[in-house]
This record gives sequence, C-alpha cells and structure tokens, in this order.
Amino acid sequence: MSFLPIAHALASRQDLPVPAWLFAWGASIVLIVSFFALSAGWREPRFEQPHSRPFGAGLSRALLSVPAQILCGAVGVFLFGFAVYAGLEGTVAPDRNFALTFLFVTCWLGFPFFSAIFGDLFRPFNPWRAIGRAAGAGFRAIAGQRAAHLTYPERLGRWPAVIGLLAIVWLEVVYGSGGAILEPEVAATAALVYTVYALAMMALFGAEEWCDRGEVFSVYFGMFGRLGIFGTHDGRLERRRPFTAATTWATVPGSAALVLASIATTSYDGASEGAFADFIETGIGWAEDIGLGVTASIRFTDTVFMLLTFAAVSLVYWLGVRGMRTVPGAPSLAKLRTGFAHTLIPIALAYLVAHYFSLFVFQEQAQFTYLLSDPLGTGTTDLFGTASSGVDYTVLTANAIWYVQVGALIVGHVLALMLAHDRALVYWPDYRKATASQYWMLAVMVAFTCFGLYLLSVSNG
Amino acid sequence: MRDVRKLVLALLVVAAAFALSACGSSDDGTTASGNTESGSKSSKSAPEAEKPAEEQDVPTIVVRGGEPVGGVQTLEFSAGEQIRFRVSSDEAEEIHVHGYDIAKDVPAGGTVEFDFPAELEGIYEAELEELGVQIAELRINP
Repeated sequence: MSFLPIAHALASRQDLPVPAWLFAWGASIVLIVSFFALSAGWREPRFEQPHSRPFGAGLSRALLSVPAQILCGAVGVFLFGFAVYAGLEGTVAPDRNFALTFLFVTCWLGFPFFSAIFGDLFRPFNPWRAIGRAAGAGFRAIAGQRAAHLTYPERLGRWPAVIGLLAIVWLEVVYGSGGAILEPEVAATAALVYTVYALAMMALFGAEEWCDRGEVFSVYFGMFGRLGIFGTHDGRLERRRPFTAATTWATVPGSAALVLASIATTSYDGASEGAFADFIETGIGWAEDIGLGVTASIRFTDTVFMLLTFAAVSLVYWLGVRGMRTVPGAPSLAKLRTGFAHTLIPIALAYLVAHYFSLFVFQEQAQFTYLLSDPLGTGTTDLFGTASSGVDYTVLTANAIWYVQVGALIVGHVLALMLAHDRALVYWPDYRKATASQYWMLAVMVAFTCFGLYLLSVSNG
Repeated sequence: MRDVRKLVLALLVVAAAFALSACGSSDDGTTASGNTESGSKSSKSAPEAEKPAEEQDVPTIVVRGGEPVGGVQTLEFSAGEQIRFRVSSDEAEEIHVHGYDIAKDVPAGGTVEFDFPAELEGIYEAELEELGVQIAELRINP
C-alpha cells in the first residue's frame, strides 16, 4: 500500500510524531490555561469595537491607486498562468515541477500564514478577480454601461466556498492517495477548470460579489486575513488591533461550515496516515469486497472518511452551541451558531501551522532555488544559477518542529477562548451568565486542541 | 484591573510550565529512545563498535518481485549514530534513500549495504527508484 498525499510527493522529510511527554505537557497546559481563562475573564467586550488607525492619506492613495491595483493583478495573473504552464508542459515528477509547490505550498499555505499576520494579502493578487474586473472594465468601455448581474442569493452565503474547499483538499489529499501520485498536469488542468468556473460565476454575479462569497481562495484566505493587522475601510488602508476584524466575519450563512471544514480537512490529512490509518485500511477492504477497483476503493474510502471527519468536527461545535442555548437569556440557535464561528479561526490556523509548518519551511527552499531556476524540471535550464541547490533539512531539528506544533495549538486555543469569551459578553450582558455559557465553548475548544495534539502524537508509520 | 492581573498571572504560570517541560525534555528524550530495541521490526545498530560488522545485528530488507517482503520496514535510529541496513533483491534495482539522497545499485539476486551517519532528524523513505515502490521508512529520532 503506498499512500502519497501531496506532502509526501514534495518533501522528502516527514515529521516525527510528538513524543508522549510533550503530548502530556501540551494537554496539561491546555487545561490549566482553560481554567484560568474562566476565572480571569474580563467583563466588557474587548474585540468587538473596531480599533483602527488609518494610514496617511498619501500612502493609502498610492497603495490603493488604479495603477497599483493593475500591477498587483497582473503579477497574480502572470504567476498563476506560469504555474499552469509549468504543470502542463513541465516534468511529471511532482517535486521537480514548479506548479505543485507553487500552488499547494507557496500559495495554499503561504497566504493563510501571512494573511493571519498582515491581513488579507490575496485580494490584490487574486488572478480571477483581476481578470473579472478587467473584463468588467472592458464591457463598460465598449457598451457604455455597467454589466447587469444577477442578485447573489443571500441564503447561499459562503456555501459555494465550503464545497470548493472540500474539493480542493480532496484533490490534494484524496486523489493523490489512489495509488497514483497527483501529477502536475492534473493539478494544472484542475486549475484551468476552476478558472472557467470562477469566471462564469463572476459574469453571473459580478467579480467583487463572487469574491466575497463564493470564490474559494478569496473566502478561505480572507478568513485568516481577518486575524491580521492591516485592512481597508472606506477606501482607505488602516492598521487595526489584531483579531478585531474577525468579530464581523461570520455574518454570512455558511461561515461556520467553512471554518469547520478547514479544521476537518487538516485533521483528515493528518489522521489519514496515523490515527485513522487502520480504519481506512479496513474500509478499503470492504470497498474492494463489494467490487470496486483498487484505486476506486482507496478514493471512495478516503472520501467517506474525509466527510465523516467534517461531520464529527461539526457535531462537536453543534453540541457546544446546543449547550450554550441552555443558559438563560441565550439568543437563538442560529444566532449562536454563526455568532461563535469566528472564534474557531485561530484553531483552524493552529491546525494548519501544526501540520504544515515544516513542509512550508522545507519546500520554500525548493521554491526559491531549483524550482525558480528550473521551473519545468527539464534539467537544462538554470535561470538564476540555483538549479543545482537542494533543500537543507538540517534547518529544523525534530525538537524545534515539535515545539512549534504544540506551541501553535496552545496559542490558537488561548486566542479562541478569548474571542469566545468576548462574544459571550455581547450576548449575555450579565457577566456570570456569559461565563456559564463559556463552559460549553471551553469544552469545544479543549476537544479540538487535544484532538489536534493527539493527531500529532500518533505514529504515522 | 484585578482581572487583567489574574490573566497575566495565568499566562506566567503557563509560560513557566512550558519552560519546565522544555528543560525536562532532554532527560525524557534519552530514556524514551533508549528502549527502542523491543519490536522485531525496529532495530538499532549497536553502539559497541568492538564487535566485527558481521556479528552486529544489521537489518536486511528482502525485496521479492518489486515488493518488500513483510511490507514497508520501519528502521529506527538516533541522530548521530550510523545508519546501517542491507537490501537484498531478486531483481536488479536502484535503492534510493530520500532526504539523504543516497542511491546504490543492487544486482539481481544480490545484496547491497548502506552505512552512513544519521545527520538528519525526521522520517525518510527508502524506495526502489525505478518502480517507485517504498521499501523502508527510516526514523531518525533526536
């Protein structure tokens, strides 16, 4: 049986499981922090009011000017187009082709990591938004009027992005585990299919509208960007207090599902070779018994397990929401469900860091050395003289990776508790009732964080 | 304000606990890696260099028909020691250890021996290069 999800196909080094003693320490700290959080909680919301300072008018105008927007958009379109070209024309070896590392590591992991610090970095470089807006401008110039768009159905909310996120992770984790590796050509073709879909949706609903709700990458990266310190308000750049923008994120249907899907897909990727490996193996056996082929059995079972993980993670959150509803004075279930969704963003980020931090550090070395100099992996080009460089796996010791992994989960846990406590104070002006409601969210957070620690500690052999 | 002070206190306690755990790590780490000789699959090359190479328990991965006999073998080592193992195959192949990027040819019906220092920590694959089949997983613990 050879499982080859994307992390295996790209980097040669895999993480050792977190040792038992560190797992125990991590879990203890999570519990201690949680109990202190209950007793030390503040009594007035801290994050709910926007705290921001606008940039100087000149700087703001320059950075948001039309030429700057066109330049950023062009950079995005060029890099995306180049990655697709490399995927179609370059080598089939996943680790020697620019496309897979650029799409699945540099962008798919880089934008969440850096947006969580600096705010939504993807929006200016979004290639589909750039094309959509250019098309809109072209239409206006020719027709002399704005293109007429359908009204986006409010109830759909972020659900198209939820489906899209599951589809992308399916391609990344499940498709590649079916015996065959995820070939650069397949990824490039998928990217082209997605482009057609995204542009069609933008034509229907308008570029900005679709990017706000349905365009997977905008919505997913933007979610992490809400934690970051830079944003725009009334057409002006501003510096804001970290995490405050997250409080207004989950106002659209499907938001809770999106953040839960993020936690679930990362969990599934981590568990498919560790905690769930034996169950998946059994499931594959059953699928083969009912007459499916080998590859079909693996993909079918993996898909079922990915969806089960999504269901289980959602169930935990739903139970927490149900619990909060029992506290006197609670708002409706629907309001609670959306109202606390943003508190899980730090946990989703912590899961990403814990599972992919080392892959990112290793593979970015490849990105900026041989993948840059020899993007097609032909072995004959050397654009920047770095084609023969390799990845230095000594830059991170096993201990360093473990501390980052466990540290990320603990920090994410604390941030999630802070955001949840803050939101509870909005819904229950009585401080004691707010605290009572937070026993439930605390249980949810402890469950997610300890599950995350457990996944890291399970041997993936 | 009292609440804020409590929160700061809580964070300090946590920081202290984490620092303690970090200090305790080296002791615990060595004891943990010291008992890896259990388990038939895992094996450590003995640190006693007195014995001649033949007498040491060098694990051998047997490859038949392009597949490792008994599934992918897990070999555990500690950083700094020598990684030693043999591969015997009924068909000619190239054995490639990823990460370390060491490749050796094994002739049909022959055996090839690997012997190199464990400089990189983490988990690495050894595979049949032509077929792309993984035969072993090298775990190098800190």
